[in-house]
Amino acid sequence: MDAIITFLTTHWLGQAILILLQCLAVTVPLLVSVAYMTYVDRKVWASIQLRRGPNVVGPFGLLQPFADGLKLVLKETIVPSSANGVLFIIAPMLAFMTALVAWAVVPFDDGWVIADINVGILYLFAISSLGVYGIIIAGWASNSKYAFLGALRSAAQMVSYEVSIGFVLITVLLCTGSLNLSKVVLAQSGWFFNWFWLPLLPMFVIFFISALAETNRTPFDLPMSEAELVAGFHTEYSAMTFGLFFLGEYANMILLSALGSVLFLGGWMSPIPFAPFTWVPGVVWFALKIAFLLFIFSWTKGTLPRYRYDQLMRLGWKVFLPVSLGWVVLTAAVLQFGGWVPKP
Amino acid sequence: MPIVKIDGREIEVPAGITILQACEMAGVEIPRFCYHERLSIAGNCRMCLVEVKPGPPKPQASCAMPVADKQEIITKSEVVQKARRGVMEFLLINHPLDCPICDQGGECDLQDQAMGYGFDRSRYHENKRAVPDKELGPLVKTSMNRCIQCTRCVRFAAEVAGVEELGATGRGEGMEITTYVRHALTTELAGNLVDICPVGALTSKPYAYEARSWELRKTESIDVFDALGANIRVDARGGQVMRVLPRLNDDVNEEWLGDKSRHAIDGLRYQRLDRPYVRTKGKLVEATWDEAFAAITARLANVEGDKIAAIVGDQCDAESMLALKDLMTALGSPNIDCRQDGAKLEAGPRGSYLFNAGIRGIDQADAILLIGTNPRWESPVLNARLRKRYLSGRCAIASVGPAVDLTYPVERLGAGPATLRDLADGKLGFAEKLKAARNPLIIVGMGALARDDGAAVLALARSLAVVNDDWNGFAVLHTAAARVGGLDLGVVPGERGRDVAGILAGAQSKEIEVVYLLAADEFDTSKLGKAFVIYQGHHGDAGAHRADVILPGAAYAEKPGTYVNMEGRVQQGFRANFPPGDAREDWAILRALSERLGKTLPYDTLDQVRARLVAVNRTFAALEQQSPGAWGEFGTAGAMTDAPFVSPISNYYMTDPISRASKTMAECVASRQHLMAAE
Amino acid sequence: MASLDRTARSFLLSELVGGFLLTLKYMFKPKVTLNYPYEKGPLSPRFRGEHALRRYPNGEERCIACKLCEAICPAQAITIEAEPRDDGSRRTTRYDIDMTKCIYCGFCQEACPVDAIVEGPNFEFSTETREELMYNKSKLLANGDRWEGEIAANLRADAAYR
Repeated sequence: MDAIITFLTTHWLGQAILILLQCLAVTVPLLVSVAYMTYVDRKVWASIQLRRGPNVVGPFGLLQPFADGLKLVLKETIVPSSANGVLFIIAPMLAFMTALVAWAVVPFDDGWVIADINVGILYLFAISSLGVYGIIIAGWASNSKYAFLGALRSAAQMVSYEVSIGFVLITVLLCTGSLNLSKVVLAQSGWFFNWFWLPLLPMFVIFFISALAETNRTPFDLPMSEAELVAGFHTEYSAMTFGLFFLGEYANMILLSALGSVLFLGGWMSPIPFAPFTWVPGVVWFALKIAFLLFIFSWTKGTLPRYRYDQLMRLGWKVFLPVSLGWVVLTAAVLQFGGWVPKP
Repeated sequence: MPIVKIDGREIEVPAGITILQACEMAGVEIPRFCYHERLSIAGNCRMCLVEVKPGPPKPQASCAMPVADKQEIITKSEVVQKARRGVMEFLLINHPLDCPICDQGGECDLQDQAMGYGFDRSRYHENKRAVPDKELGPLVKTSMNRCIQCTRCVRFAAEVAGVEELGATGRGEGMEITTYVRHALTTELAGNLVDICPVGALTSKPYAYEARSWELRKTESIDVFDALGANIRVDARGGQVMRVLPRLNDDVNEEWLGDKSRHAIDGLRYQRLDRPYVRTKGKLVEATWDEAFAAITARLANVEGDKIAAIVGDQCDAESMLALKDLMTALGSPNIDCRQDGAKLEAGPRGSYLFNAGIRGIDQADAILLIGTNPRWESPVLNARLRKRYLSGRCAIASVGPAVDLTYPVERLGAGPATLRDLADGKLGFAEKLKAARNPLIIVGMGALARDDGAAVLALARSLAVVNDDWNGFAVLHTAAARVGGLDLGVVPGERGRDVAGILAGAQSKEIEVVYLLAADEFDTSKLGKAFVIYQGHHGDAGAHRADVILPGAAYAEKPGTYVNMEGRVQQGFRANFPPGDAREDWAILRALSERLGKTLPYDTLDQVRARLVAVNRTFAALEQQSPGAWGEFGTAGAMTDAPFVSPISNYYMTDPISRASKTMAECVASRQHLMAAE
Repeated sequence: MASLDRTARSFLLSELVGGFLLTLKYMFKPKVTLNYPYEKGPLSPRFRGEHALRRYPNGEERCIACKLCEAICPAQAITIEAEPRDDGSRRTTRYDIDMTKCIYCGFCQEACPVDAIVEGPNFEFSTETREELMYNKSKLLANGDRWEGEIAANLRADAAYR
């Protein structure tokens, strides 16, 4: 046993195997939760519309996501004759990959993180910006007007809302004094009202709304607004290429929910800081918080109609940008003059 | 002429007509069942009631009441409507409610008029009367429960068809239309009973339950089963001709049609040539058009023109005859003939081969001589016209030829040429009558002409005829629908050409190497010797069995065609449906073949063919018109044998490839034979 | 004051929150949908479903080949061919309905003088191929035999209104 641990921690091959195991430990549950996110989504929307949702495949329709996944795997991938074949195939891979690699810096519990780097927030920010490439390439490679317009919209939208997300992150950064996500969580220790959601409530709201826009979810799902653009940038995609976009999108959604939990909802912290609540493993709390945010995602989709494109842009640039900017200044001022500037 | 007021409108009408006819002239429609323009007046259905002033206070049957001057006729008053509704209710009391299974449904007078005058339910709760169905032969199906006792059928059989085999027995509710003796009707006009029956009591047996009137594609066409050129309407459904009905044409067929013309059409479904065949190793093998043309081209190479011959059939349209004649001319062959039966008619003056007086002229004739013809079988509708002339009185009819029952009394002078000679010499009493007549009509049949001494008979008949400015009494009664058209187009042997007998002789002596048969089956094909026979036609009949190459053509219902009837009337029919399989229109086949032979005919479209028809003979420009043909010398006086004239038709129901393939016609023959055996 | 109120509401997202609460409330209401393959809704006696050709109680087929249904069919989905049967009665030799053309207007059953062609209560007759939807006479008669009970009951129920 010891030998194995020694091998895994010291030998280069062992380290590689360990990292691989860690990655699997993150991605496999992630993909399963992506699958069930689709199920939950459909159940929530169905409930809101007084319907039943999937209930035929397996008990309560629990096997529905696997049936859907199997269908996507088994179908034929069609590459349009006028598409740019190489880019057409690369694009969904890129979109899916960027959604996964971001998980490297997310802390599931104290010390449960694959890469506990000091610039975690910057890393996340950088990776999520890369996600745009997958979409842009898909839209361009499809050589279809719908896909192209969808991709343009998508890119513009993601870039716009990343600005306000950036300012939100800065606010949190100011409050914690670290770019390391684990440190961000630790900075929120204590009761649930100690978490940043309460003091930075407007920022939390802005963050959540921007997250909706960032993941192209209702009410900001303009890139794939079916009435105008068929299915947006993935109009021409079928089978597993489409499946990768789909997985990436949901993985992104979960990622942003995780980020929201880390930044505002105290990550793995128990909301009530004494036994028996502290006996519950931190990862469970973390999962519950992510699930709560994801539920709001679904709930939003079941409640709100779609924005018009100009409204979307106005909201991003004329409301969120000034408000978040103002809040950054305000937070900085309060920290500075209140003498609460965190010590590194 | 009396002036009457019909529904408030004054109109002057000819004296002696009935109120119903007067109303019709005024454009007022009177419902009727028993009244029929061409039958005597019965006045027993009471549907045509109108109010007449001055007159009795109750409504009057307009069909039976003559008009009088200053009469006022009211056809739309409440009284009239109520009376008609009452009549209709009585008619419907015993009429079964079986329109859904009745073949008359959709074209039924009673059904139509019940829409106007019927009541939507019955007040009659007792049992309806039931009448046993009668057997009227293989063509007419009876359902006597439906009969409303209008007696149109009785009057038709007695007056037009001339067979007094139908009648009514019993009175009141017990009245039944029946045959006196239980056998099939012995008339060739039985199909017309179905047309005149205003309800579904008499329907067509071969057509039973096959189609509904509203499903049929109706196409106007011309009948080719005899030379009368009856105007017909071909009703087709899908790719099948379902039935043939006569069209109204007072100049030709009035509104009658012979049974063969009407019911032989099921022959269009059987024995059809639907693809080309080529004889290889003694057997006919299916081939493509290309292979068939290749076989002909190969055989015709290096054959001199005068070793090629063509025989034209009896049902061909003028277009295909012209195309064949042009092709033979291009090949350098003078050997072409349209007179399969060997009739001694020449393409000389048109008057020599026409029914010059016209069908309508029969009505004006006051002495009629039939020479070597049995019009009852050669053209039953024409025979009905002769009977109509007989019925109107003051017309002596005599016959030299076969002893047959023509449905009207005929003075039979003799059987053969000798009698004719005696008549010409004035030795017979009938000669006086002929001389005394203003409009004597000499009808010469093919039985007198299609024999070796035919030319002499023709000359003798010519000498009997009276020809002046307003009457040409010389009339040839043809049996072949294509004959007059062929003679008009000069489809007869050219200079040093051979006629049919010559062609057959040449074929046996190997002087003729190739024979082209254009739907010609009515001659002895075994006499074709070793000649290479090309058969172009629509049925696998005698000609096709002997053929070396078969080119499938179209039957009359399947091609637009021009036909000239026996009186020289040019008529055009339209295509009712398409020929089966690979078969094509005949002129187009000849046009395609001519191209393969390197003698391309100068027309590509039907319009161009018809323009060429007119160029060959101006007659073809004047459609639907009849006038006596040019008169001149014809026939050659000479010795005649003593052989009696025999009608060319020994079996009315089977005279051509179509009727020979028809099951209905076979049933008719069987029925007739059964009847003869019983007698 | 009103504008202040409006501004406050706007900033506090009151409409959004109201909307979210509404949908949340609906989420816990009872479902209105039927669990279809296991539960089915009620059908009117006049329901126009899959076609059937009926028979008389003695087994004789009702259809007499009058072709009225063929004539009235606005989609021209019906094809009939008829001829006299051996006993001389008028019967169809072919009765085809192209169910892919049919628009289920019910004119055929209205036109039928003998209640032979009817649109029965069956609406679950989807097939895997188009060809299976080209119904012929034997299929229609089989339908009639299978659904006769329901069809007869429906006709009885509706007879009072005709």
